[in-house]
Amino acid sequence: EANRECIFFSEFHPTLGPKITYQVPEEYISRELFDTVQVYIITKPELQNKLITVTAMGKKLIGCPVCIEHKKYSRNALLFNLGLVCDAQTNTCALEPIVKKLSGYLTTLELESGFISNEESKQKLLPILSTLLEELNATGACTLPIDESNTIHLKLIQLRKDPPIVQEYDVPVFTQCKDHFIKSQWDLTTQQILPYIDGFRHIQKISAEADVELNLVRIAVQNLLYYGVVTLVSIFQYSNVYCTTPKVQSLIDDKSVQDECLNYVTKQGQKRASLRDVFQLYCGLSPGTTVRDLCSRYSQQLQRVDERRLIQFGLMKSLIRRLQKYPVKVIRDERSRLPRLYTGCHSYDEICCKTGISYQELDERLENDPNIVVCWK
Amino acid sequence: MIENPCTVSHKTAVILVTSGSRGNKLLFRYPFQRLAECPSSLTGSYAVTSHPTLHTFLIEAVLPSLRFSDIILATILATKSDICGKKFELKIDNVRFVGHPTLLQHPPIIQVSKTDPSPKREMPTMILFNVVFALRANADPSVISCMHNLSRRIAIALQHEERRCQYLTREAKLMLAIQDEITTMTEMDGSPQSPFRQILPKCKLARDLKEAYDSLCTTGVVRLHINNWLEVSFCLPHKIHRIGGNYIPPEALERSLKAIRPYHALLLLESEKALLGQLPLDCSPAMVRLIKTCSAVKNLQQLAQDADLALLQIFQIAAHLVYWGKAIIIYPLCENNVYMLSPHANICLYSSLAEQFSQQFPGHDLPSMLAKFSLPVSLAEFRNPLEAPAQEAQLIQMVVWMLQRRLLIQLHTYVCLLVPPSEDEPGLRDEDPPLAARVGGRSLSTPSALSFGSPTSSDDMTLTSPSMDNSSAELLPGGDSPLNKRMTETLLASLSEHERQVILNIPAAQNPEDLRMFARLLHYFRGHHHLEEIMYNENMRRSQLKTLFDKFRSVLVVTSHEDPIISIFQSPME
Repeated sequence: EANRECIFFSEFHPTLGPKITYQVPEEYISRELFDTVQVYIITKPELQNKLITVTAMGKKLIGCPVCIEHKKYSRNALLFNLGLVCDAQTNTCALEPIVKKLSGYLTTLELESGFISNEESKQKLLPILSTLLEELNATGACTLPIDESNTIHLKLIQLRKDPPIVQEYDVPVFTQCKDHFIKSQWDLTTQQILPYIDGFRHIQKISAEADVELNLVRIAVQNLLYYGVVTLVSIFQYSNVYCTTPKVQSLIDDKSVQDECLNYVTKQGQKRASLRDVFQLYCGLSPGTTVRDLCSRYSQQLQRVDERRLIQFGLMKSLIRRLQKYPVKVIRDERSRLPRLYTGCHSYDEICCKTGISYQELDERLENDPNIVVCWK
Repeated sequence: MIENPCTVSHKTAVILVTSGSRGNKLLFRYPFQRLAECPSSLTGSYAVTSHPTLHTFLIEAVLPSLRFSDIILATILATKSDICGKKFELKIDNVRFVGHPTLLQHPPIIQVSKTDPSPKREMPTMILFNVVFALRANADPSVISCMHNLSRRIAIALQHEERRCQYLTREAKLMLAIQDEITTMTEMDGSPQSPFRQILPKCKLARDLKEAYDSLCTTGVVRLHINNWLEVSFCLPHKIHRIGGNYIPPEALERSLKAIRPYHALLLLESEKALLGQLPLDCSPAMVRLIKTCSAVKNLQQLAQDADLALLQIFQIAAHLVYWGKAIIIYPLCENNVYMLSPHANICLYSSLAEQFSQQFPGHDLPSMLAKFSLPVSLAEFRNPLEAPAQEAQLIQMVVWMLQRRLLIQLHTYVCLLVPPSEDEPGLRDEDPPLAARVGGRSLSTPSALSFGSPTSSDDMTLTSPSMDNSSAELLPGGDSPLNKRMTETLLASLSEHERQVILNIPAAQNPEDLRMFARLLHYFRGHHHLEEIMYNENMRRSQLKTLFDKFRSVLVVTSHEDPIISIFQSPME
């Protein structure tokens, strides 16, 4: 969590040149540091209105230099910069919109009422800076009325990684209990599809049953992915094949994963499943073994375990991975068309989803075709 | 949004600035096209293509650093001297500048000839310089770190050459002279030209900087000779370690390299001849020996013996080759190895890999070959006694080819001790924490000591050597001696009472030899040590171990997956 160590207001004084007029806490930015970085704080015109972050002497300073030109100012221009200081190791991307916004607010205030150029009103800046720093560090947000017509609204927003593309054959599953959700927070589309997200319905099915256009469903789910509310797993079928990943050992090593798992996979109303049973089940998954096979071989272990939730948990935590089938047409005569779907780039899941035929049908078609090989990965 | 580092190529620019008695100067920048402020006025200055507006849009989007003028760049990149000698990072909107500003200690003393009638002039002195790379602001932090590293290396070389023969001063003088000349020409006849374009053919340093930029964009491998003398070499791991559009983060690479064991092997990614051709003339003879001696069937320990080098040295050279993308770490090839298709393998019919395969192995196609590895299969299963030995050799070649291109992963067997919970204590909510959590980490990390004559993974080899320090205590053979019994008891002491009882009740436990072996290997049954590692450490045959596992199967859970230590080479960005 980034800690904002200091907030400062710097300007170009008509006689003294660039200086720090106010800083909270006082004396935080040394004379030395300011001398080194002042060229990035009170800048040449080419750099004005740009977000500038400079790292020096173990500190990072983020600011946005502003220049307001007018005859009334000595030297015909008012130059200032309101910025934040953090430790050099901090990732400060989230602070940039805040600094930009603040520069906008001050510009508006100055243009409307000469807030900064007026010595008396400028003094109000110090308590404002103080409050800003305090609230940003405490809650990450700040709402501060400045005068009758102006209020500052700031909020720190965490930047996250771009979510992956959501395919029609992907299955969204909630990462936490669905009940923790406040539905009204979300847009209408999301609210409409929420009841259909059960960790088993895939996107295409959700779209059909919720009667929402496919692309809208994809976008809504991608949004939920971005916020870490859901994760994606593959379609469940008893004919599916899975295998363990090295992460399966975390079930043994990590007590919290263990607890979470056993709670998740135990059948409703049953005594908590034993670690041994569950671990044996996961290890029973291997190439060539379908879920159906697992069920018949490990019926004793499955007495207290819901196999669908077992698979779901395993996928969510990457303890296991799904082996998909990819048909490749390796022999074809010159006259026939180029294979479109049987190129090794499209899995059974995808082909069945797009063409509407079932796995069994596809299997039957391909198994008897000597020109086609199937790769599992 | 963190940008994919593989696309870092189009966003960089390299800039050289100095600060001195003549003020702050931008000596050179590449790429050197600078766009006028209004896209529409491209007819005059600096227009580069026949479709100015489209190209402008693309360039503006792709090379934002070019929008800064030379003067402003000189102001902001020629820093104050008190931040010299450290990483310099400056972000302006969506451009990030990274460099290593370097102070030049002694101003060069120029001897003016005694017969020169002109008044003595002070040679303009250079106080500091900075080689700066401009990147997209959202570049991955490890990329930024790497670029800083390159800047620092170039700076060290330049500083050295400056002290030795005022190299930088001379080049700077040349660059500034050409800039002045072009400016004058522009003022006179009004036709604008980029001074940097003229500098390039006349200044070696400018050409070096251009080459650094070009190399970064293409191969990710930079090799310069500053002043035709000092070598600066550098690689951007993000460009080198790319598998299918993803990259291996340098930190993950380093972690893996620290965890490799003597039983691993080094697989070269290029032919021996090609590699040797790439080495600099003054490279270490040890490296050459290693490359000539290494093979996919030889583990690092054997390699050390065959190349007559210390194991530690082998590790270092191997790590170096891996880091530079010239080799990967695998388990040595043998017929018991089990391979399966990598989840990241490109099995597309039309991939360039498929084409390369057909050229390399005529009559075979890649997808059919890959289909054979859909289920885990050991190399032994491909053996056909009716086939000519040449066929078998070709199979090995194909497997090596596929391993080099990360199409296959190797599966290993892992074992975990899990005792059935006690039946007659329904009140017992918490089960015994598994062995893994209890047995303290006996470090089985890379040893610095050699162990001689370790077994290959072939089961036919007779085992004669002593085991390594890491293995469990040597137990005296023969029967039920009190000493052996006590040792077995000690080893089993880490188990809970319930666990001990269950184990002792297994029929196989009645045989003291079997029980002893089980106890001795107990600490491996945590799911973190695969079969081959146990075989190596304990000098045991595969068949011995498998029999033991079978005898004690009621308390052991066995699974099979890739080795997480080296899986980074097959599955990047886990």
